[in-house]
Amino acid sequence: MLRVEGMKIRYGAVQAVHGVDLNVGNGELVTLIGANGAGKSSILAGIAGSIPPAEGQVLLEGQPITGLPADVISRKGIALTPEGRRVFAHLTVGENLHLGGAAFSKGDELRARRDSMLSRFPILADRIDQKAGSLSGGEQQMLAIARSLMSQPDLLLLDEPSLGLAPQTIDKVYELIDDLRKEGLTILLVEQNVELALSVADRGYVVANGRIALSGTASELASSDLVRQAYLAI
Amino acid sequence: MEFVQYLVNILSLGGIYALLALGLAIVFSIVGLINFAHGELMTIAGYLIVLSLSFGLPLPVVLLVACLGAALSAVLMDRIAFRPMRSASVTTLMITSFGVSTICKVLFQNGVSARGRAVALPEWMSGTLTFGGFQIGMVPLTSIVLTALALIGLDIFLRKTTLGVAMRAASEDFVMVSLLGLRANTVIATSFAISGLLAGIAAILWISQRGSVDPLMGFTPVLKAFIAAIIGGLGSLRGAVLGGFVLGALEVGSEPFLTIGTAPYRDAIVLLAVVLLLLVKPDGLLPAVRGVRS
Repeated sequence: MLRVEGMKIRYGAVQAVHGVDLNVGNGELVTLIGANGAGKSSILAGIAGSIPPAEGQVLLEGQPITGLPADVISRKGIALTPEGRRVFAHLTVGENLHLGGAAFSKGDELRARRDSMLSRFPILADRIDQKAGSLSGGEQQMLAIARSLMSQPDLLLLDEPSLGLAPQTIDKVYELIDDLRKEGLTILLVEQNVELALSVADRGYVVANGRIALSGTASELASSDLVRQAYLAI
Repeated sequence: MEFVQYLVNILSLGGIYALLALGLAIVFSIVGLINFAHGELMTIAGYLIVLSLSFGLPLPVVLLVACLGAALSAVLMDRIAFRPMRSASVTTLMITSFGVSTICKVLFQNGVSARGRAVALPEWMSGTLTFGGFQIGMVPLTSIVLTALALIGLDIFLRKTTLGVAMRAASEDFVMVSLLGLRANTVIATSFAISGLLAGIAAILWISQRGSVDPLMGFTPVLKAFIAAIIGGLGSLRGAVLGGFVLGALEVGSEPFLTIGTAPYRDAIVLLAVVLLLLVKPDGLLPAVRGVRS
């Protein structure tokens, strides 16, 4: 489904990603793991178009989407749930969901999508008219994912969904991610919590200093010396 | 009775400032541009009024032409001058808008006339209405009604339409809006169109009080609108409206205390009050709610 070839990303003079190759197959859950600042989020931003790659190619179903504006890439079926959730704090939960689907459907269809999202996330249904900023961190993370799902994406990019959440809340978020994978959604997951990420992923890439240090299936990575020593502290 | 008269004056003058400040705030909240060419949108509306009156068009059509013309001009300003500068800094954008403003002024001065043109207003506008013992001029009354309608209309637009909700979202986190597949340039163009529309309405009200149009007519009211927007908290829409009425109240309210000797210092006295206010509330009365990320 998604293919990234030789992606380089620069912020001014600083290069964050030094030529990354990766691919995500249909229905796969692939994870990018690695330390803070390794360039994982930059790779997602480069795919989603919020930061255009300086070099390299991004191919969606074989078609180049490199450097297209973020809104165009989104309408091609890639949704990014960014790090820090970035819900619109001063808009209501309902308005946040509405905007998530507004570029993809209208009227009754949009309402139907919203209603099905609310039955999937009852906690959001209870808070539909509340400002998103008044939700707890876990609720905001659910809202951010629900907002992304409103577009019924082919590929979901999830950036650090466990960041800053309480352990029970993290479990709920990961149950949701596992459900989405079982429903056949293709997911590229960025996560600092390596154990958590490998518990749900099919395959993974270890990102270090803006390069792919290692790749393999989730179980191969979990038993590799590099991952065990550097990230799992075993 | 005098109090009612002051109130009417505050609402009609403050309303114009509020509409202009709101136009500035809408664009600033989304694009981060302080548009110094906003006054020229008023001037364009003014000349469109003169032009369409000279064709003998009926008044409602004249007003519609003025408002839509100003809205279209604002969108064109963005398309031609500001869109190519989208990723530039606030300062660069501000200087660009100075350039646009200057070019427009020179075009009006050389292309139309450096001197003002009288605008013949319809008879009924110079009349007054009597409400239970006190009189209200048609001009301030129209101002108050139009301002109220514009503010209510904008509020409904921002709450009830997808584009309006997207604009509010964009003022918090513009990148996130485009990550949701919403067209960034449509959101921006709409914000310019609305700011132009509001400038058009403000121009109609300003001209109905002045009775003339000239190339520099936008300067003073828009300068006041900047002050109003800053009083309210730059980028905050509710703040802009409040700031407009506060500035109107300061200007109208200071009049009874001014003597022949101090009257020329009215603006200085009002600005001093603004400085004192900002010392107490540096972010304005109702600070903008901006996302942390750019």
